[in-house]
Amino acid sequence: MIREEAIKIPFQYAAGTAGSEFLINLRDHRQLTGSRCSDCERTLAPARAYCPDCGREGLHSVNIGPGAELVSWTIVPDKGVFALVRPDGADTAMLHKLLGPIDDPQPGIRLQVVFREERSGHINDIEGFAIVQENGE
Amino acid sequence: MSERVSVPIEMVQSWRYSSGDSMERFSNGIRHKRIEAVKCGNCQRRYLPPRPVCGNCHLSLTEWVPVSDVGTLEAWTVVYLPFLDGRTGELRDGPYGMGLIRLDGSDTTLNHFLNQNDPAKLAVGMRMRIVWRDELHGAMDDILHFEEVS
Amino acid sequence: MRPVAIIGTGQTNHARCRDDVSQPELVREAASRALDDAGLQPADVDAVILSNMELFEGRALPELWVGEGAFANGKPCMKIATGGTSGTSSCIAGFHQAASGLFDIVLVVGFEKHSEGHTQTGMALTDPFWDRAVASGALGNFALSISQYMAERGVSEEQAARVAVKSRRNAARNPHAHLSDANATIEDVLNSRLLAYPIHLMDMCPQSDGAAAIVVASGDKARKLSAKPAWVKAAATRHEQPYIGDIEQRLLTMRTLRDASRSAYATAGITEPLKQLDLAEIYEPVTYAELAWYEILGFCAEGEAGHLIEAGVTGIDGELPVNPSGGVLSANPVGATGVIRVAEAAAQILGRAGAHQIEGAKTALATGYGVYAWADAVILGSAV
Repeated sequence: MIREEAIKIPFQYAAGTAGSEFLINLRDHRQLTGSRCSDCERTLAPARAYCPDCGREGLHSVNIGPGAELVSWTIVPDKGVFALVRPDGADTAMLHKLLGPIDDPQPGIRLQVVFREERSGHINDIEGFAIVQENGE
Repeated sequence: MSERVSVPIEMVQSWRYSSGDSMERFSNGIRHKRIEAVKCGNCQRRYLPPRPVCGNCHLSLTEWVPVSDVGTLEAWTVVYLPFLDGRTGELRDGPYGMGLIRLDGSDTTLNHFLNQNDPAKLAVGMRMRIVWRDELHGAMDDILHFEEVS
Repeated sequence: MRPVAIIGTGQTNHARCRDDVSQPELVREAASRALDDAGLQPADVDAVILSNMELFEGRALPELWVGEGAFANGKPCMKIATGGTSGTSSCIAGFHQAASGLFDIVLVVGFEKHSEGHTQTGMALTDPFWDRAVASGALGNFALSISQYMAERGVSEEQAARVAVKSRRNAARNPHAHLSDANATIEDVLNSRLLAYPIHLMDMCPQSDGAAAIVVASGDKARKLSAKPAWVKAAATRHEQPYIGDIEQRLLTMRTLRDASRSAYATAGITEPLKQLDLAEIYEPVTYAELAWYEILGFCAEGEAGHLIEAGVTGIDGELPVNPSGGVLSANPVGATGVIRVAEAAAQILGRAGAHQIEGAKTALATGYGVYAWADAVILGSAV
């Protein structure tokens, strides 16, 4: 015998210190924020409260992007193209959408962050990353 | 403290569960208001819900025994606090009575709703009977609730 | 097996809602404080064990997201979940890892952020074929058992209320507690809102946001790093049949807790718990459970628990203080709650329990409780 059951539960997640700063900068300044660990000499994207490698707290917030580099990508049917992108100035990549049109993008190509007009302090305040055409447009 | 951001996300998921053989037989039974337990040949314990193995003796349970729709209230409460039912996403409002009922013929108790939500009218040891829903589909909520045997 | 000890503890400030921090930041707060307490650096930690109930936050792989907050990058890291016992089970796993010789320093961190989800709803996702349609979470489970306990042993609502009063007053000495009231009275408890008969609001544990951590060290390391380690004298855990209706009388008999505590007592050489224990930090999810478990844990004879609380035997100045920290009734971040019990017991032995320190504490019991289906017992002492 098979039984199908649904569950429906609302959750409310706190972004915390660095997460809030990242989301607020998206909302208010159309700006990507990373965190710089001066010990490891690495800039992490997105911003975070402590260095994942050395554990150091009190990292410096730095502006990253708006340009970015494509690291890897995949097509999710009906959902779009998802990509790992490394914002300029950052040493790590973050996951977001790649905006079309897309014609066999190669890792390393140049991208540009695209913000939505309506922003609420949410990761989707970023609409995605668009491919920068070779003529610079 | 500087501004903090908090993000609402609703989880909506669906699951597909297999009952296993013993629960399938039980479920087919209650579709006809027939309740059966499984009995351990070693410790003699009669189990509801039915299951393949006795957890105490680790022996297969293959003997089926009939269970009455009448039993004894072993424990009870009246819940006042509204409860968010994850199956529906809706609040279950209080007060509602709940009980652990040992049906005659079973050695375990089953928890279910009571039609009584006045603490003054509930007591351990009361005799209770199953009230079935009009339409039966082979699930535990075919039992609407338990009522006192008058 | 090598001797092991706890050499440091750390707790967050537990509260109804800690939305000032994310989950990993909350974990970091407790983990950092535990390392500071032990005088260690993150690099000194050999392995990390996490404790959390993921359905309460609805987040897959919490150990992945928060491990970094517990300094786990590049180290062995895993999560243990056994309901309310998750925290004590994680501590016991940490003891085993150090005792076996696998690791010298193990950091155990438990956390929960109940404010982010719906704990009771998550708990009620029980067997879809049997009792999911009627499940009412922890509250319903306890309330059902209490009617039987009251009928059998004649405990009164007032006796149960005394447990809540003790808890709130003790918690007033504990800066980490979520709920405290130095002036709490029996009337306050009896006049608080009825949640499920006979449980009033103040009878029931809260849902807290919080994290707690302990640093477990092998015997050799413990001697080098700590002047006064809290030695693990015994640790036992028991599991039970799955359905609430399988378990005879629940609160009254509590086979898991009886067996786990008897096993731990035997290992630690405890024959008279009331006399030999200097304090106990027990996992009391509801006032009536504390009373029932005084009997299960052998603090008194069957039926004597009401008199024990009335006589003040388990008060902070009594013969056997139970939950000098304020207990689960005063702070309950579930994944952390069991770790808090062990951390509080350890802090007493380490002599760092602050305003709720029991002077000269040498032997302490900590217990864990997980939906009737698990119980843990840990005994710590000032000597190996």
